[in-house]
Amino acid sequence: MARVIKQKPMNWVERLYVYECLRGLFTTLKHAARGFFRYEQLPTISYPEGQPDIPSNYRAKHRLMLRADGTPRCVACGMCAAACPAHCIFIEATKSDDPRIEKRVMRFDIDHLVCVFCGLCVEACPVDALRMDTKQIVFEHRTREEFVAHLEDLTNWDPKDYPEDAQSQMAPGGTKNAEARKVWGMEVK
Amino acid sequence: MSNFYNMPKLPTENSPKVEIFVDDKAVMVPGDTNLLEALKAVGIETPHVCYHPYLPVSGNCRQCLVEQEGPRGRMLVIACYTPVAPGMKIYTPASSARVKNARKATQEFMLVNHPLDCPICDKAGECTLQENYMEAGQNEGRMRPEYGKNYHGNPAHQFIDSKGQVRGGKHVDIGPRILLDEERCVQCDRCVRFMRTIAKDEQLQLAGRADHTYISTFPGEKLDHEYDLCVTDVCPTGAMTAKYFRFQKRVWLLSHTPTISMDDSLGANIWLDHADGRIYRMMPRCNPEVNRSWISNTTRLAFQTFGENRLPAMGLKVIKEAMGEGKVAIVAGGASTIEDLAAIKLLKETLGDKAEIFGGTFKKVGSPDGIAMSGDPMANRAGFKLMGIADDNLADLVKRASEFNVLLTVNADLFGEDAAAAKGLEKIATRIALSAFDDETAKKSTLAFGIKHWSEVQGTMVNCNNLLQKLNAAPTCPDAELRPAYEVISELAGKPFTSAFEAFKKAGEYASVLAGLAYDSIKSTGKLLEGGNA
Amino acid sequence: MDIIESKSWVEWLITIAKFAFCFVPVLYILLLIPMERRGAGFMQDRQGPNRSYIKIPYFGKIRLFGYVQNMCDGAKLFFKEMFAPKGANKILYYAAPAIPFAIVFLSPCVIPWFGPMVFDWAGEVVRIPGSIVDSDVGVLLLFGLSSLSAYGAVLAGWASKSKYSYLGSLRTTAMTVSYEVCLGLSLMGVLLLAGSFNLTDIVSWQEHHVWGIVAQPIAFICFLIASIAETGRAPFDVAEGEPELVAGYHTEYGAMHFGLFYMGEYSHICINSFLIATLFLGGYSIPFVTTETIQAHMGGSLAILCWVLAFLALAFLHMVHRYSKKLAATKQTHRFEVLREYRLYNIVGWLAVIVLIAAGACSWMFFTPEVAHTAAGVNTLGTALGTAAIHLLVLVVKSIMFCWVWIWVRWTLPRFRYDHVMNLGWKVILNIALVNLVVTAIAAKLLGGN
Repeated sequence: MARVIKQKPMNWVERLYVYECLRGLFTTLKHAARGFFRYEQLPTISYPEGQPDIPSNYRAKHRLMLRADGTPRCVACGMCAAACPAHCIFIEATKSDDPRIEKRVMRFDIDHLVCVFCGLCVEACPVDALRMDTKQIVFEHRTREEFVAHLEDLTNWDPKDYPEDAQSQMAPGGTKNAEARKVWGMEVK
Repeated sequence: MSNFYNMPKLPTENSPKVEIFVDDKAVMVPGDTNLLEALKAVGIETPHVCYHPYLPVSGNCRQCLVEQEGPRGRMLVIACYTPVAPGMKIYTPASSARVKNARKATQEFMLVNHPLDCPICDKAGECTLQENYMEAGQNEGRMRPEYGKNYHGNPAHQFIDSKGQVRGGKHVDIGPRILLDEERCVQCDRCVRFMRTIAKDEQLQLAGRADHTYISTFPGEKLDHEYDLCVTDVCPTGAMTAKYFRFQKRVWLLSHTPTISMDDSLGANIWLDHADGRIYRMMPRCNPEVNRSWISNTTRLAFQTFGENRLPAMGLKVIKEAMGEGKVAIVAGGASTIEDLAAIKLLKETLGDKAEIFGGTFKKVGSPDGIAMSGDPMANRAGFKLMGIADDNLADLVKRASEFNVLLTVNADLFGEDAAAAKGLEKIATRIALSAFDDETAKKSTLAFGIKHWSEVQGTMVNCNNLLQKLNAAPTCPDAELRPAYEVISELAGKPFTSAFEAFKKAGEYASVLAGLAYDSIKSTGKLLEGGNA
Repeated sequence: MDIIESKSWVEWLITIAKFAFCFVPVLYILLLIPMERRGAGFMQDRQGPNRSYIKIPYFGKIRLFGYVQNMCDGAKLFFKEMFAPKGANKILYYAAPAIPFAIVFLSPCVIPWFGPMVFDWAGEVVRIPGSIVDSDVGVLLLFGLSSLSAYGAVLAGWASKSKYSYLGSLRTTAMTVSYEVCLGLSLMGVLLLAGSFNLTDIVSWQEHHVWGIVAQPIAFICFLIASIAETGRAPFDVAEGEPELVAGYHTEYGAMHFGLFYMGEYSHICINSFLIATLFLGGYSIPFVTTETIQAHMGGSLAILCWVLAFLALAFLHMVHRYSKKLAATKQTHRFEVLREYRLYNIVGWLAVIVLIAAGACSWMFFTPEVAHTAAGVNTLGTALGTAAIHLLVLVVKSIMFCWVWIWVRWTLPRFRYDHVMNLGWKVILNIALVNLVVTAIAAKLLGGN
């Protein structure tokens, strides 16, 4: 179905083009003068050295949340893999050594070459184990294999990088770890 | 508590049709069955938990409620224990808000103390509770988090979990093959009824009362029975889980191939559940005439070795040359399909008098156990008879071993079955083994060739009840080079079959009953052969 | 011998030295390329190329505000392999890029770089014109030469044996021819007022009366548009319109061949800028100040000039300082590297400030008007050279301003469609220029000019 978009007819000043030219020239001159005299105000970031300010809800590289004892929260339910439209999550489960926890994740691979960073896996996670708030948006590796993030990689994060997040602070090294360990009934380090 | 004499009457093709009124609409349903099955026959599914078509009706879950017009007005009745009567008036949730609410309430009540284990539960995805929730439940959670769930069950199994909450027994080791989760159990007592009525060995019991009820074995005893893994099948929740499949794969990732187990001449109908090119589990496929919903542990766990110890595929030139010299004894094993037998007969025709076909097994033939085993390890014995191949003349072969120069075994692990009995066969100079596995016979043979296993081929077999059943190929073959036995043998014969159906058509030439049959004409529950030789 | 002896050695020296002005357009390329690249960047809120660097001890990576990038690109172009497409006319193909580039060296001949130097040497009055060739048909010569550059494009397009190049060169031809007419006609008003084709005369007329841009504003606009079109730059770059023609007449050219076209284009801009500055902006003359005044106060003029430059250097230092402060506050990983580089600019800047202020002070003290100017209106050599330097500087500033206009227009206005270009040339600018000429002629007659 063809859709006809009616454009506003130009008035005679616009048709003459001279005034519009001058307006355009003024705009570009403004920008050029800003760049020249206020170089530091250019919005461009000098990229590899300067990093953009990424909000924490930006969908960046994944991480796996940790329990107070440092084990990943993931129970290997496969919900993220089921939700994943790109089929880039590979999970294998096994029996947990902790009698209070039944199932634990043995292999958790995310192929970041395949990942589309849609965030559906984070939405799907029933235990809030998977998050995408690492702000790490650059993936540079030598081989294809290295783009696959493994369990060790995904759980290797520092609570100090997430000072706002109470859940992250329950991980070992976080400010709320002792508290969380007490709830767990573990000895406090 | 259930009675073991009230097995549900299931509708058959010969059931009398009666007219009943469902939601004020007249429908014709089978007249000799219960309401649940009758409604199912006309396409109305009723959610149920405790009811199982091959177990006695217990009627304890109250999930299958429908309304029936009676002398005192419309009453809620359970569909599973209400026999169909002509002219009865039934109201389902489609017309009755009361039924809908009642089912919803039942569902909510059942889930009150059910843990939120679905992410870690192996049953998730095929769980009756999940299905019922989606169909009849969809309740808002009314459990306040500060109250938490109130798990009871066996007090000995209770523990404090990582969140400081009292939990019931998780992963209770109830037997060598089964783990029990008392929290997930909804006390439908299907497992108790199965062990009592089907396994005839009452190892499980419900202990305690009211909401303290839990499943238990007798003190000091373990759940250990040839059919105990069927308990995990009948369990509507993830309470009974098989250790071998625990945490192996989420069930929705499995693909299912319907086929026939070639372990036993009953030919138990099975699903091969596979993913990523390997079999994860073998589940019974319901066939009322053969194994109903049961398979034995032997059959079920056999898949674990299907992918291991396989022979590689090879070229056939050597084997052709080897067969050229002297007399050939072809031994067909019990796992050979009709197609394989057709190819063997073709080979025999090609070789003429030089070749002779033997069949049979050195294994002991047992007696039927009445559930899902006939006890005969030679699965396709009826097929042998149908094709006119001797099915029990191995002793003859051993006796006349010195007459032969070449021994060609197809799917027959003679040395593995009985090394002493097969010792005489070592007199035959050239021993060629066509086998899926690198078994004893393959090791003893001079030439060993890999073929596809029965789980990876398409074909047909005839079970001990003269039922022609269809095997389907699961895509789990470890080596893409491997080919089915009938292809290999027919190539040896010089007239290679390119498909299983071609071999089946050839079999029709040898056995008139099979002539003119197509694979599509064999139903998933098999086709009874009239006038077979067996 | 007679010719040689007819002039003193100083006269000869200055006359020969003036040939150095032939290289001004080529030098302008060095200025225009960074100006275009970074100017375009700034207009689009980008930074422009600024990554290449030269490593020197202590100061580390010196990037010269992105200038090194241009050197790198030039070096790359220079060392690339040159090849011709199969089936091309080899001789013409290789000769074509040389044409616009050769003209670059000829065109500056007639432009008056400074006012005629009149000074007293060994008791004789020496008079040296500001252009290399002080021709009475200077403007015509210049137009003739700059039209020749179209040959480069035409030959390149034809010899490349490529339909894109060919179409591009056809368009160039048509457009150059069209806009030459507009160019010449729009200029006529100014010539009429000045009464001469000699560029020096035109400038001196402007100096004594009023600038061409005031006397002939319409002619100025027509001339500007026509000369932008003549250089073949956006928005009139239909000859190399990428959407249709890949790159127009130089599609098949690479390496330094392409480099020559590229440099020819920039030189063309430079010459046209000088021309506009000369014809409409009073050339080397300074507004509101006559040459005589400058000569009378040579010391003060030079001092003011030095101090203006010192002020610019201070402004530069301020910008560097402000950016350094901002940079030091960021988390950019290379900030210390950059700050180290900026140390060099700070040192150079402060040195320049000191030197310029000192030079200004010296000029103020020593170059007194009594020494500079004799009663007969004839200068000493020093005053004459000083005047020439100031004139040249003024002309350069004016021309750079116009070069900026070229770049500015290019990165602002979208390309015209080819028929629009032709319409504009023949139906609009030509007519306006004609009317302007007639009106100017009548007005000049009525007001009683020369």
